[in-house]
Amino acid sequence: MATRIELRQIVKSYGTLQAIHGIDLTIEPGEFTVFVGPSGCGKSTLLRMIAGLEEISGGDLFIDADRMNGVPASKRGIAMVFQSYALYPHMSVYKNLAFGLETAGYKRAEIDQRVAQAADILQIQHLLQRRPKALSGGQRQRVAIGRAIVREPKIFLFDEPLSNLDAELRVQMRLEIAKLHQTLGNTMIYVTHDQVEAMTMADKIVVLRDGRVMQVGAPLDLYNRPANQFVAGFLGSPKMNFLPARLDSAASGGHTISVAGRTLDLGRRLAVTGPDEALMMGVRPEHVVLGENAGPASLGLARVQHVEQLGGETILHTALDQGDVLTVSSAGQLAIRPGSMVPLGLDPAFCHLFGADGRVL
Amino acid sequence: MTSSAAAIPAIHQPAERRALWRSILIHALLIGASILMLYPLLWMLSGSVRPQDEIFGSSSLLPSSISFDGFVRGWSGLQVSFGKFFLNSLIIAVLATIGNVVGCSITAFAFARLDFRGRNFWFALMLGTLMLPYHVTLIPQYILFLQIGWVNTFLPLIVPKYLATDAFFIFLMVQFFRGIPRELDEAAMMDGCSPWRIYWKIMLPLSLPVLATAAIFSFIWTWDDFFGPLIYLNDINTYTIQLGLRSFVDSTGQSDWSGLFAMSTLSLIPVFLFFLFFQRLLIEGIATTGLKR
Repeated sequence: MATRIELRQIVKSYGTLQAIHGIDLTIEPGEFTVFVGPSGCGKSTLLRMIAGLEEISGGDLFIDADRMNGVPASKRGIAMVFQSYALYPHMSVYKNLAFGLETAGYKRAEIDQRVAQAADILQIQHLLQRRPKALSGGQRQRVAIGRAIVREPKIFLFDEPLSNLDAELRVQMRLEIAKLHQTLGNTMIYVTHDQVEAMTMADKIVVLRDGRVMQVGAPLDLYNRPANQFVAGFLGSPKMNFLPARLDSAASGGHTISVAGRTLDLGRRLAVTGPDEALMMGVRPEHVVLGENAGPASLGLARVQHVEQLGGETILHTALDQGDVLTVSSAGQLAIRPGSMVPLGLDPAFCHLFGADGRVL
Repeated sequence: MTSSAAAIPAIHQPAERRALWRSILIHALLIGASILMLYPLLWMLSGSVRPQDEIFGSSSLLPSSISFDGFVRGWSGLQVSFGKFFLNSLIIAVLATIGNVVGCSITAFAFARLDFRGRNFWFALMLGTLMLPYHVTLIPQYILFLQIGWVNTFLPLIVPKYLATDAFFIFLMVQFFRGIPRELDEAAMMDGCSPWRIYWKIMLPLSLPVLATAAIFSFIWTWDDFFGPLIYLNDINTYTIQLGLRSFVDSTGQSDWSGLFAMSTLSLIPVFLFFLFFQRLLIEGIATTGLKR
C-alpha cells in the first residue's frame, strides 16, 4: 500500500527566476515527512510539484517506479489537504466527500460506504448534510481530511493544514493527523512553517531555505546535530543562542576558542584551517545553566533583561558583559527579577560551532 | 446637576431639527426626481386606458373615463395578432439570453482559468471590441447574413450570442471568476475533474449572481431591441414586439395611439417578471464561505 517518492534534481523556474534549485530527496514508504522552512523557501511549491498542480521545470519525480513528471494530478494516486480547506461551498459535506468518487465513476453504494467509513474515522457523521459555511474551523478541517481519505490515495499531502486553527485546536488536530497516519500507514508529506509541528509529527524533517534543502533527517537528529547555522536556529523554541567566537589555539586535547571575553576549551578538534578564524558558537537555551559553578565553563555574570514564566519552565533573556544577548531556559519556576545579575555557565559538549559559511565544524 | 440636564436638550434640539430638515429636503428632492422619471411611464399607462382624443389633449395623468378598448384593438388591430409578436420576442429573447450566458461564461472561464498562448492578447482584443459601435459592424454583418440566407429569420439575432460576442458580459464574468479561489479548482483537479467539469460543477454554481446579472441585462436588452429586428426582420409574421408597436404609428393614415400604449404596457410585463425572478438570485448568490479567509 505505502508508496515511495523520489525526487531527482527537481527544479522549478518562473521565467528566469529559479525557485527550486535541483532537489534530491527520497521519501520511504509509509514515512511521515515534513517540509519545513520560512515563508518563500519553496516548500509549498515543492509539494505542489509532487501533487501535479505545478509543472516541474527540470529533474524527475518518481512515485514508486513510475516517472510522474507529465502525469495529471488526479492520476498520481495523491490526495491533498489545502491550507484554506478548499471545500466546495455549494455542496453539502456528503457531496464534498463524494464528489471525487462521483467524478471517478464509482457506484452509488461504493460511494456511500466510503463516505460513511471516512465520516466514521473523523467523527463527522452528524455533519454530512450541512454546508461548509455551517461548520467551525475544526470541522471544516476534518471534512477536508475526509475528502482526502475517501479517495483511498497512496499518498497524502498536507499544505499547512492547521495554520487557520486556534492554538488549542491545532494541538488536537496535530494528534489526530498523527493518529490517522498510524491507522492508515500511508506515505504522507506535510508542509508547515511551524517547527513545533515539524518536530512533533515527523518521521523525517526536510528543512528548506531559498529553494534548497538545508538538512534532512529525523527530528532529534536535526535538533541535536544541525548541519548548519540555519537549521540550528530554525529548529527549537526558544531559538538557539549564537555568540561570535574566535579560534585561539589547538592544544593536544582539542581547540580552544574565545567567546564572550572568555576562553573555552572545547575538548575536541574542529575541522578548521587555522587560528584566528571567525566562528559562530551556538548553544541552546536549555544548555546554558544558572549558578556559580554551573557547567564546566563559566560565562560570568549576566544581567537579566526580561523574564518569561511559563509555569513548567522559566525563560530568561540576559545580556553578558560584552553586550552579547543570551536566552536561558530553566526548568521550574525561578524567582528572578529583571535587572538582577545571574552567573551563567555551559558545557562545551553541548556547544555547536559554525564556520563563516554557516556550516557546522 | 439640574443645569447640565437642562443644557443637554438645549444643545441637541437644534441638531435634531437640522437633521429633520435635511431629511425632509432629501426626501423632497428624491420624490421630485422619482416623479420626473416615472412621469412618462405613468403617462403611457394612463394613455392606454383613456379615450383616444384625450391622449394629447390633456397633461393630467388622471383619465376622464377608463376604457380598455385600446387593449382589445391593439391585440388584434394589426394584420397579425399581437400574441404572435409576443411569441417572437419571447423566442428571440430567451434563446439569446441562454446563448449569452452560456457563450460568455465558457469564454470567461477560459480567460480566467485556462493557460493558453496569447491569452492576454486575446483578452485585450476582446475588450477592444467594447469600443466598437454596433453600427460599424452592422453592414458587414448584414451582408454576411444575407449571403448565408439568414435575413428575415431569427438566426442573426440569436446565433451570434452563442459565440460570446458580448465583451461586456465576458469581462464581468472574468472578474467574478477571478474572485473564486483557485484552490477550489485545484481541489477539483485533485478530485479528477477536467476543465469542463470544473466549469460545470464548480464555477457555474458559484457564479449564480453574475450569471443572473448577465441574464437580466441580456433579456432586457434583447427584448427592448428595436434596431436589430428592424434590420433583419421584414415579414410581419417574424416581427418582434418593438416592430409591432411601431406598426401602430402610421405616417400616412391614422395612428392608434391608445392601442400602442396598451400594447406597450403589456410588453413591459415579461421584462418586469423576468427581473423579479432573477433578482432573487442576485441576492441569494452563494457566498464562497467554504474557504477560511
